[in-house]
Amino acid sequence: MNTRGVLFLGLRYLQRNRAKTLLLVAAFTLVWLLPAGIGLIVAKVESQLRARAGGTPLLLGQAGSPLELVFNGIYFTKPQVATLPLREVDAVAETGLADVIPIYARYAAGGHRIVGTTLDYFDFRQLEIAVGRNLLRLGECVVGASVAERNGLKAGDAVISTPETLFDLAGVYPLKMTVVGVLAPSASPDDEAIFVDLKTAWIIEGLGHGHDEAEDLGEEEKIAPTIPGDTAVRLNASVLEYNEITPGNAERFHFHGDVSDYPVTAAIILPPDARNQALIKGRYTKAGGLQLVSPAAEMDELFATVFSVQRFVIALLLAIGIATVAIGALVFLLSYRLREDEFRHLRHLGADLATLRALVAFEAGFVILASLIASGIGLALIHTIAPVIIREMMG
Amino acid sequence: MMIHCENLRFTYPAESFQLAIEAFSVEKGESVALIGPSGCGKTTLMNLLSGILSPDGGQVIVNGVVVNELPMAARQRFRLGTIGLVPQNFELLDYLTIRENILVPCRVSSQLRLTGEIEARCGDLAERAGIASHLDKFPRQLSQGERQRAALCRGLVTSPPLLLADEPTGNLDPENQDKIVSLLLGEAARIGASALMITHDPVLLPRFDRVVEVMKLRQKGGAA
Repeated sequence: MNTRGVLFLGLRYLQRNRAKTLLLVAAFTLVWLLPAGIGLIVAKVESQLRARAGGTPLLLGQAGSPLELVFNGIYFTKPQVATLPLREVDAVAETGLADVIPIYARYAAGGHRIVGTTLDYFDFRQLEIAVGRNLLRLGECVVGASVAERNGLKAGDAVISTPETLFDLAGVYPLKMTVVGVLAPSASPDDEAIFVDLKTAWIIEGLGHGHDEAEDLGEEEKIAPTIPGDTAVRLNASVLEYNEITPGNAERFHFHGDVSDYPVTAAIILPPDARNQALIKGRYTKAGGLQLVSPAAEMDELFATVFSVQRFVIALLLAIGIATVAIGALVFLLSYRLREDEFRHLRHLGADLATLRALVAFEAGFVILASLIASGIGLALIHTIAPVIIREMMG
Repeated sequence: MMIHCENLRFTYPAESFQLAIEAFSVEKGESVALIGPSGCGKTTLMNLLSGILSPDGGQVIVNGVVVNELPMAARQRFRLGTIGLVPQNFELLDYLTIRENILVPCRVSSQLRLTGEIEARCGDLAERAGIASHLDKFPRQLSQGERQRAALCRGLVTSPPLLLADEPTGNLDPENQDKIVSLLLGEAARIGASALMITHDPVLLPRFDRVVEVMKLRQKGGAA
């Protein structure tokens, strides 16, 4: 057998039958790639979610979906999760059983979640400031590494929160915030977040605001007293609120009402030991209206469901794969039948049986090898873009 | 002697056709035309001589080798090295260019090397066959006569000592018939090869050293 000759003839045949070859390669590529790709993505999602969940002992939130609470509290998704008042967070802290870190992850800027929290969060997640400094004043923000990279942000730049309801005059107005620091990459959802002080997050919500001194405003911006002798100044909706907190106007920002009523979406509970953890769990099992969840346990439950679905999907894909391989084998057999004349001609010229078998095997081998290579490239691509896919999946 | 057959017997399975030839020979350098009505066994005889078919009895000796005693693989190697086949239906591979088709014996054989000399001979043969400008075209882009000339070039490219041509002029116009026969016999003479060609056309017969009627060969069973 002339190996080089077989390669030459095999390649020429495939070249002249490009459409058939490409279709076969594409079909076989999907057979290998789909189950492997799904497995890879699920494994990546699982490792990312579990790593984050495993590092967060307990989460406190308003009663509702525990999974939504976990997703909001540690991955900063599900912004519509029910809120709980700050007083409940303080109540846990006052027991002395655990440290508590409030999280208010409701608003966004340029597609990135704005996370209102305290400085304790940075210590807890061991986040390092790569450039600039940490939060110090109202209206400042520290951006995650990916946020900075994708938006070309550096210390001194500004980000503006996304208004929630454009045509609702009582809605959430955009707030211009100054970037004071950029976090070092942590390969976690923190890379995708914009961190602000809890109070700044409440200002975005409209719970706190700043405007010129009431006494300095004109009569058209005031509401006339309805009770004779009332000296309190009441302002109407025409008062212009500041949309940026600067050193010059920071003192004029204030909050109305009781701050302990202000909302947070979740609170990370950090008991120092198993005993305290058990005590806190005991308290909140009985507490109505609130829920205390273990993110790791929630992930176990989630992945038990995901894996059963994945097994079903992969079983389906395998069935489709077997059918595709069978059809592929049929195509090769039919191809052999179609090439009978060609093989007879070659036999007449003096080609031996090994040469003819090698020619048939070359076509099948090329298609399988090319599809395996294409699948490998596909898997490498999935591996590369997995963080984007995971981010999109998690909303 | 280039070809010598003795007591050749062949029967197609499940068919009544039987070929029996007591003796048939072709000398080295001799050109022979095989004639006879359709179905008389011309192609069968040629396939027996080339080793494509194995006789039920008797011997086929080509260039001193008992072809029918060779194992299949050795017989195919022998055919590649000794015989230039020119089939009636061209047997060109549609996914190869004319140049690649002419050189295909060197691709399927482990003993024939695709040397610069053979490639030069390919160009030379194509020039003389009048298809040099078609070397990079595919068979379907050529006329019947041009394809037949390409098949003839493939049979000649390795300069084999024996040329077997099965009705290479069938379905061709007189002008192309003449070109094919001139090329076949001219090249055979040039390389000192024996040529055996099946034909139905009496006009071509005077150009051969000898004409053999297969029917008579079978009936008489004697040496031609």
